[in-house]
Amino acid sequence: MSELGRLLTALGERSSYDAASQCSRCGYCEQSCPTYVATGREAFSPRGRNQLVRLMLEGGLSDPASAAEALSTCLLCGACQTVCPAHVPTPDLVLEGRRALRGRGPALLNRMARLMRERPELFRSLLLWGYRFKRWGLADLAARSGLLRLLGLAPLAEMAQQVKDAPSRLLDAELEGRAELGPASEAAWSYFAPCGPRYLLTRVGRATVAVLGALHGRGARSDNPCCGLLSFNYGDLDEARAAARAVIMGFEAAGLPPGTPVVGDCSSCVAFLKSYPQLFLGEPAWRARAEAFAARVKDAVEMLPPERLPRDETLPAATVHDTCRLRHGQGVAAAPRAALKALAGGCREMGRSEHCCGGAGAFAFVHGDLSDELLKAKVAAIADTRARVVAAASTSCLLQLERGLAMYYPECRAAHPTELVAEALARRARTGEAHHHG
Amino acid sequence: MSLPVRELERALSGPVLTCEADLAAYAFDGAHDRARPEAVVLAGGAEDVRRAVAWCAARKVPYVARGAGTNLAGGCVPVKGGVVISLARLNRILSIDTLARCAIVEPGVVNLHLQDAAAPLGLFYAPDPASFKVCTLGGNLGENAGGPRCFKYGTTTNHVRAVEAVMPDGTLERFSLEDPGPEVMSLLVGSEGTLGVITKAWLDLLVVPERVVTILAAFPSLDDAMACVAGIVAAGVSPRVLEAMDRMTVESIEAHIPAGYPKAEAVLLVEVEGSPSESERDLEAVREHCGRHGATGFRVARETPERDRLWEGRRSAYAALARLAPNVSVEDGVVPRDRLPEAARRLRELAREHKVEPALLFHAGDGNLHPNTIYDERDRTQTERVKAAGRDILRLCVELGGSISGEHGIGLEKRAAMAWLFEPEALALFRRVKESFDPLGLANPDKLIPLPGEAPPGPALARSPAPLSDAAVSLVERVREKARSGSPLFVIGTGSKVPGALRREQAEVLTTRPLASVRKLDRANFIVTAEAGITMAELKALLEPEGFFVPLPLVPGTLGGVLATRPWTGIRDCVLSMRILLSDGTVCTVGAPVVKSVAGYDLPRLLLGSWGTLAVVLEATLRLLPRRPDVPNDLPAPRRSAMGPWHRRLKRAFDPAGLLNRWAEGAGV
Repeated sequence: MSELGRLLTALGERSSYDAASQCSRCGYCEQSCPTYVATGREAFSPRGRNQLVRLMLEGGLSDPASAAEALSTCLLCGACQTVCPAHVPTPDLVLEGRRALRGRGPALLNRMARLMRERPELFRSLLLWGYRFKRWGLADLAARSGLLRLLGLAPLAEMAQQVKDAPSRLLDAELEGRAELGPASEAAWSYFAPCGPRYLLTRVGRATVAVLGALHGRGARSDNPCCGLLSFNYGDLDEARAAARAVIMGFEAAGLPPGTPVVGDCSSCVAFLKSYPQLFLGEPAWRARAEAFAARVKDAVEMLPPERLPRDETLPAATVHDTCRLRHGQGVAAAPRAALKALAGGCREMGRSEHCCGGAGAFAFVHGDLSDELLKAKVAAIADTRARVVAAASTSCLLQLERGLAMYYPECRAAHPTELVAEALARRARTGEAHHHG
Repeated sequence: MSLPVRELERALSGPVLTCEADLAAYAFDGAHDRARPEAVVLAGGAEDVRRAVAWCAARKVPYVARGAGTNLAGGCVPVKGGVVISLARLNRILSIDTLARCAIVEPGVVNLHLQDAAAPLGLFYAPDPASFKVCTLGGNLGENAGGPRCFKYGTTTNHVRAVEAVMPDGTLERFSLEDPGPEVMSLLVGSEGTLGVITKAWLDLLVVPERVVTILAAFPSLDDAMACVAGIVAAGVSPRVLEAMDRMTVESIEAHIPAGYPKAEAVLLVEVEGSPSESERDLEAVREHCGRHGATGFRVARETPERDRLWEGRRSAYAALARLAPNVSVEDGVVPRDRLPEAARRLRELAREHKVEPALLFHAGDGNLHPNTIYDERDRTQTERVKAAGRDILRLCVELGGSISGEHGIGLEKRAAMAWLFEPEALALFRRVKESFDPLGLANPDKLIPLPGEAPPGPALARSPAPLSDAAVSLVERVREKARSGSPLFVIGTGSKVPGALRREQAEVLTTRPLASVRKLDRANFIVTAEAGITMAELKALLEPEGFFVPLPLVPGTLGGVLATRPWTGIRDCVLSMRILLSDGTVCTVGAPVVKSVAGYDLPRLLLGSWGTLAVVLEATLRLLPRRPDVPNDLPAPRRSAMGPWHRRLKRAFDPAGLLNRWAEGAGV
């Protein structure tokens, strides 16, 4: 079985068919969908995609492969699910449709997922070699035709190409010996390192750990494997389940004090961790373990109590881009705004903040033109606010926004909310010291 | 699939979609039925629409224009295959003239986007269908869509100044209210894409009121709530919205969010607006009427967040039901306002017979009711029960003196039910109008009009027309005699606009002047039916002492003469229906005698300005006001002009033998 078959929906556990049939075709989702707004094409709307998945399940398409483009262009942002009167889980249904079309997923991606889980050291060293090539000006060699692709790591190669400043050290090395981190048995929080901050945007991971330490006391590192989202979205469900089991077992073995939150700083990954129970609907024992784990997972953005954040007078005008899997995947909209208000004294609202930026994992590589169109609209909305910093909570958003801002609005930078908090804390510490010495 | 679509694609700037998934995605709208097209044109501009229509006309391929596809009556479903012409990409607001308070838009503009563009200028666009966040203005025009605000402001047609449309012959035409001759613009609005495809529209914007006050009141019974509504309207208060919900709707809302609505048999949501003093005065009037009719709860909100909270429940009514089952049937009927409680009672009985449980939502101010029934379309017998109940409810609405659609349109689902509302002669006239514009029958075929021989269950015509007056009967008989001999007809009112010389040339002058009675004054609903020969002065003198005001200018001549010559474009806002006489002696009723109906072609408005060249008006049903309206009386003499090509086509539909009032067909007086 290459599909889930059953889903956890807002209305309870449903078969995929029942979940798809819950779409009454009212069309209220259309304007929430960035791909429909960009194309005006019904098959590229949530309603259209739901109907196609439903037809596939009913055997109503004589050529199911004709639905491939409609399904592959879905950003999985979930904005439709938020506005849908019945909260039809379109992203999950689209993924079911994709799985039905592709079977067990591309071999290359499965190979990478296994490598990440089973031989993390080898994976990390390959990645670092890729980055070195990139820094040596051999990006094409490394990414387009080079080492990573030869090793069957094409998606990774594409991502490496996206990074402006490839890190010379990965996050694991950066966090060695940090004072905020201690034994799990005494931890006030446990940092779950998502692949983005861990392998690409290490600055985000460093900031998150510093902020969690400053606001919540000493914590621990989860030493987790990849959450499995890559396999869930683009590869094989068994791979995703294997990743989830590994994460859950690691969590259970860590011996954290009861109630300790597990905190991640890439919202796509965190939303997926929170949805683990859906992977195990047919396995009661694992479902219970997944529920126990998911109940502890927190997005780093949820760990920023505004009353404990320092006011940073130097922070320029700021705006929030609603990371899809934070707002639509986890239903968190107020927290990043409250944090910015506390830090900067205000938060400028951009138009359609809840619209996807077009990053969306691998979307930017697969559907470059559509992705660029969404990115332009997003950067225009940011520029309209005249903000100089935009907060976003996932790796994919940060990479995409950085690319867009560099091209169209270079006065503005993109940062994870924890980065802005970390900067404010550091500034306060410096001025406090100066004050002390003065 | 045999359409040579690549040839079509070469002619267009936008793409033509033909893969199975795309065709499947255009097989449905917001209603039940499905049918796949053979190709979909994503039009890139009006020229694409024109070329696509011309291509279809040359190859006799049927086509359906589509906006957001949120239609609730199957109007966008391509039942005969062919081509779907998507207007979704024609989504530019071309201009907003704040001085003229007019927006020029393309049809794919989302209703909300026009609202968003107008708001910073202190303006708003009045029609607000429930789907306003996604539905397009083109779709609104096609269906003559309404919304809660249309109690005060009317449906879409009341906010249109002009349209540009691709006609079935592939020409691009502009029709404006300023055009002399019959109101072809009014005919196109609400014609559901069966007569042409609107590619540009000039829409009215209104000034945002200084203040809006939202009121929520609970009542021990629906009768009490509706009596309160009647009292508010009769007192001359003109609320911006007057919404009612029954207990089942309130309970489903409360189970869903909860909105803190009182658990009562009926809840009213009322909004009054105006200057601070006007809105306070109206608020007090509403408060008094609520108290008088036993309201058990009364909440008032003047500022935005509190107002939004009162609205939250009403706005969530659909979502609350949509969570309970895969499908929600949103039925749409109208009854005279004072018959809403009776309609609700009988409707529940009908529902019980069919074992369905509709939750009731009313635009109570205009008698528009929405029974919303949850079901699972995969369950065939359940679906059939819901549909059967819906049909019975529509029939009930007609029996009670109402209409089968207040704002959703007819489309596919209510096509057969048209025969309950309109006489066969009226349906035949609709067919001839359709054929005159679209002789090949390609523009959204098989919608809106029952197919020949298609009959709904039960006896046709759910309410019989009232007998004609003796004077009218004599006129009809004389016309029939003349029709038999093929003699030309010269029919006028007092003749105040007819050149005297012309009149003297006629062998026989027929006049409507003896048809001078008020046939029915419906005091509870502020509606009058009067014969066409009554003079404006007589009509006003009869009604005004009773506190009823006709929003028509006081000019010399008869009511029929004013309607036929249209000295002021504002007269269209009060015309609800007409009893007309065709040159072959046929009598039929067009429009519906309720303040809100979008069923069938808008022939009453089409006839405005037709100078008696299409039909003779025997009776007109008009909307009355409880206060003296601001209507201009000092008007220039109305203009007559040469017939345009579309007027000539209509002439053939109404008066194929060309007997009626030929004098008025020529150029200027």
